[in-house]
Amino acid sequence: MNWTDEDLVARSRGGDLDSFNQLILRWERPIYALAYRVIGREEDARDVCQETFLRAFRALPGFKGQAKFSSWLYRIALNLCRDWIRKQRRAPTVQLAEGVDPAELASEQGPVESIEDLVARRELSAVVEEAMALLPEEQRTAIVLKEYHGMTFQEIADLQGVPLSTVKTRLYQGLSVLRRHLEKNGRVPQLVKRT
Amino acid sequence: MSDTFQCGDNAALVSYLYDECDPAERAAIAAHIDLCAACAAEIAALGSARLQLASWTPPDADLGFAIVRPQAPEPAPQTVSPGPWSLRPGAWLRPMPVWAQAVAACLIFGVGLSLGVLRGTTSTQSSSVRAGAAATADTPGAVTATDLAALERRLRNEMAALRATPVNATGAVSQLASTAQQPANTAQLLAQVRALIDESEQRQRRELAFRTAQVVTEFASQRRMDLAQIQNNFGQIEGLTGAEVREQREMLNYLMRVSSEQR
Repeated sequence: MNWTDEDLVARSRGGDLDSFNQLILRWERPIYALAYRVIGREEDARDVCQETFLRAFRALPGFKGQAKFSSWLYRIALNLCRDWIRKQRRAPTVQLAEGVDPAELASEQGPVESIEDLVARRELSAVVEEAMALLPEEQRTAIVLKEYHGMTFQEIADLQGVPLSTVKTRLYQGLSVLRRHLEKNGRVPQLVKRT
Repeated sequence: MSDTFQCGDNAALVSYLYDECDPAERAAIAAHIDLCAACAAEIAALGSARLQLASWTPPDADLGFAIVRPQAPEPAPQTVSPGPWSLRPGAWLRPMPVWAQAVAACLIFGVGLSLGVLRGTTSTQSSSVRAGAAATADTPGAVTATDLAALERRLRNEMAALRATPVNATGAVSQLASTAQQPANTAQLLAQVRALIDESEQRQRRELAFRTAQVVTEFASQRRMDLAQIQNNFGQIEGLTGAEVREQREMLNYLMRVSSEQR
């Protein structure tokens, strides 16, 4: 049966471990992706992801469902990311060539993507990652939450604990920096017409 | 929300970009963009930056986390308590179950204890040591200077006796026979030795598996690095080739232009 998050949370609170493990299965990828994009290190992102679920599990008796379970998880993960960044006291480093596996990527993409396209996409990905690492943590987080997790301005404002206008400003400033960096690296933005 | 839009209102531009504004505001901004080239370019550039963001994907990671109970399952609790739970990766490196660890610990302890007991019984059969043991009966296990002196005396005597008498086959047989008077002890000892050998083999197998895994991991990392290097080199070569082709094309164009002018 396809349980909702709320159902699984209720069952987990009743002591059903399997239900909580289903929640982990459902949310570990997004949480890992969030952590990776915010802190920029694969191993640490995995640690953050693991710690997020461990903390969530321990705090489950105190979770009364006042927010969505996913928002609650995101909040825990972001707090952990913030702690990690503070602890490191440095800008997130970028793993450029590490983990690049063209063969794997090619198999993921299927036969339609040529090797040239693949290389171009990887290069662009590296440039984007590099540009994201240049952003201040709060701008980077706002962009990650908006672009990759589809949150509304209000949800981001709640998570970051700032007014709505601040979120919009962060997004604008972050996107502007990204645009400049991409232009500088020969990634000339193409004019697109919004529909 | 206002029905008019003015240049420089970046927050409104962002709302428009993400399509998170009410229809009136959206209409106002759209009307302004139709007239203002600067704002239109700004929106287009931000939109393009957004498109390029889509190319950034995090690397694959082995996750598969799962909450596991630290001990044998107990009756289901009514509520989840913040106990010493552990979160373990499901797909890789699962630790040995607690019961198995307990069994292994008991086995090792038992073997050690039996060996110790056996050693103790064998020593007490000797008359000289028996005397020493009697002297220290109140404190079993404590070794005194008297014990050591007695042991030294006994060893010296035995060595002297060995030197004095040649090796006798029948004597050895009789010694063996006296040892065989305790078949139970021997069988037990053999079983313990077998258990120790098995344990050692298991340990070696584990060690081998671990080393193999290390080699495989190192090989995979090296392969990734090599592929990345190849990719970089390929990109450089491609860039160089592209530049050469461009130069040649320019040269051809120039020659054609010059030749046509001469005609």
